[in-house]
Amino acid sequence: MTQLESSAAPLDPALEREVAEMIVSALNLEVSPEAIASEAPLFGDEGLGLDSIDILEVALVISKRYGFQLKADSEDNFHIFSSLRSLAQHIATHRTK
Amino acid sequence: MNALPLLPDASSDIIVAVHKGRLITRAEFLGEALALAAQLPAHTPVLNLCADRYHFAIGLFACIARGTLSLLPNALTREIIAGLHRQHPALHCLSDQGDNPFDLPMIIVQAQGAQVPPCLEAPLIPAEQLVAQVFTSGSTGTPQAHAKRWGSLTINCIAEAQRLWEGAGGPCTVVGTVPFQHMYGLESTVLMPLLGGGVLCAQRPFYPGDIAETLAELLEPRMLVTTPVHLRTLLDAELPVPPLALVLSATAPLADALAERAERELGAPLHEIYGATETGQLASRRTCSREPWRTLGTIRLRQADGVTLASGGHIEVESPLNDIVELVDAHNFRLVGRNSDMINIGGKRSSLAFLNHILTSLPGVRDGVFCLPDPDSEKARLAAFVVAPQLATEDILQALRSHIDAVFLPRPIIFVDSLPRNSTGKITQDALQTLITTHLRNAQH
Repeated sequence: MTQLESSAAPLDPALEREVAEMIVSALNLEVSPEAIASEAPLFGDEGLGLDSIDILEVALVISKRYGFQLKADSEDNFHIFSSLRSLAQHIATHRTK
Repeated sequence: MNALPLLPDASSDIIVAVHKGRLITRAEFLGEALALAAQLPAHTPVLNLCADRYHFAIGLFACIARGTLSLLPNALTREIIAGLHRQHPALHCLSDQGDNPFDLPMIIVQAQGAQVPPCLEAPLIPAEQLVAQVFTSGSTGTPQAHAKRWGSLTINCIAEAQRLWEGAGGPCTVVGTVPFQHMYGLESTVLMPLLGGGVLCAQRPFYPGDIAETLAELLEPRMLVTTPVHLRTLLDAELPVPPLALVLSATAPLADALAERAERELGAPLHEIYGATETGQLASRRTCSREPWRTLGTIRLRQADGVTLASGGHIEVESPLNDIVELVDAHNFRLVGRNSDMINIGGKRSSLAFLNHILTSLPGVRDGVFCLPDPDSEKARLAAFVVAPQLATEDILQALRSHIDAVFLPRPIIFVDSLPRNSTGKITQDALQTLITTHLRNAQH
């Protein structure tokens, strides 16, 4: 059940910042939320470098705060974590609160 | 010659796996495995890169039927694969993804369903046949291979199945959140269901929502194979989870409180498996019972010269346990202390000695040491103290990534002027603890 990245949601810099703060606080990261660039990868070898356990933690906070569950068809399918922007857009599309 | 069938004797139409909503019979699974076996090279090992657990299982059983050795590396880094390729120049890979990240001769694994003839009779496989080499990181930087023979694996997984079906009230459909290329996932989510009369589920659900959804699609009784970290996020998500017959956890210590919460909220007994890549699975317990660990099947333990040795059951040569245990009798024990060198994060295992070796070998790193500041927390993550005046955190992370799995990357990295090594060059546990207390206690949750 792959959720394709939605192009419908407009860019929302305020939501991007909110999500950056949520990630930093959920994972106790040592970077400031402002240092997370909108286009830089969140997951994998570049950018923020989150791994699968981080993604689980972030997914949990997303589900509580925005009222929907993330879905993936495999552990390697983290497209929505390709950048802060794509994550914020995914949240904007699927949020129920 | 002692031989055991590729699948246990049973009616040809029993269900052995579920793949993308399709129920796979014993005859169909054997047909798939034997059709693939005919395409495999005979005398060169194979790297099974399949991402789907059913494809992985077809690949593994095809290799076993063909007499081809399966290599299961501890991590899929370029360095490790290059090392295996050097050792086995004719190395092939099995893939279900179509991409070929390591440029090896590739054989595509796809479920063919009705296109392959079903097979009614399982071939007999010699018990001493070497079927897999499972790698651990080793302490020197060179991955260490652990040979797994057909007879031993089969006996071990049947003993595990007997114990867990007893706890669950009967054979189950087994859903796992853990990687099946590592020992725990290989044994408990692939071999145990296939060899022990259960049903293998191809999906590897990741998010809590995926776990709940995958379970809901399956027939009862269901077993969930997971780790403390996956279990905690599942409970924290507070989703409705379909009835479970049993939850299995392994790889890291499970806190009593989490075990009790899991049993209460999921309404199923929670069991833990104790084992190691070297020895296979040795014992289990229902965590909430507070009873000692009980060895599987006919495995016996004894102590000599401060070491605990396991024999019997599937164990070919009496082998030492990594951990410090207190024996109640030859079949029951309490775990006193885990071996402090071996760490396990999210189902992936490594050795601190190996990680330290990699860290201190990086250009620009004068000295460094990894540590696990909160070993008993299911949120446990590694930290590292590093002496590297010219480097930034990002440089070190970047350099480590090509050598180690991402779950072992240190967080945080703390730069220090020097490390408190004693006269023999060692950093004692006390000295390390002082470092942790000084630098980490305030910053950590």
